[in-house]
Amino acid sequence: MLGSMLSQYARTLSVAAVLLLIGIIEAFGLRDAVYGDLLPFFTWMRESSWFGVIGTTYGSIYATVEAVHLLSMAVLGGTVLATDLRLLGVIFRDVPSETLVTGTYKCFKWALFMAVLTGIFCAAGVGDKIYYMQVFWIKMLVLLTGSCFMIFIKQPFLTSRAHSEISPWTLRLLAVTSILIWFTVAATGRWIGFS
Amino acid sequence: MNESNKWDDKKIAAVSSAAIMLGGLVYYWIGEGQSTIELLELAYGSLKLFNNPLIF
Repeated sequence: MLGSMLSQYARTLSVAAVLLLIGIIEAFGLRDAVYGDLLPFFTWMRESSWFGVIGTTYGSIYATVEAVHLLSMAVLGGTVLATDLRLLGVIFRDVPSETLVTGTYKCFKWALFMAVLTGIFCAAGVGDKIYYMQVFWIKMLVLLTGSCFMIFIKQPFLTSRAHSEISPWTLRLLAVTSILIWFTVAATGRWIGFS
Repeated sequence: MNESNKWDDKKIAAVSSAAIMLGGLVYYWIGEGQSTIELLELAYGSLKLFNNPLIF
């Protein structure tokens, strides 16, 4: 019985397990314990890793990679807005929302991949600066949880059935959450740049 | 509209995780807004968005 329940509610139990893990990490102060040990890694990223050295030595290469990073974020934001504003019924009302959800997803995944790849390079160039910035860690937390939400929760749910079978309030909740996630990632990213 | 009221695994996971994340993000941005207002009050004495010396 337990086995069938585990397989039947695998996603829900995974969400509960992640929440439990976060609770344990906070309750036992594991985040603070690990934080101090990460400084050598960030210092190594800036001073010793090949991408950190390239980023700090050649300003033109850093600027070019950062431009690709921003373009990737723009494409990602475009796919998110197109999908979620359609789910909210604001734009593209003549296009079925199922078509947009499936059509933009491949583009979303590639944009996310490129943004993360170039983001690592950009972070390495200012590794010892961002380590001390709270907003950087907030961005990483929202990026990680947001990506998992999009890939493992939202997309499988929206592609599992016709949207006419889903409550409009559920669709609105998913769309607003998704927009706020990527707004936060973009805003905190710019915040890092201006800090 | 043929709306299904069935709460299966995917729907429970989607709604619960979306609600938790939305709540967390709204809480975060309200906190940021609050600290911004406190900084403005500290800088200007009251929440005046324009630095008008006649206010003081």
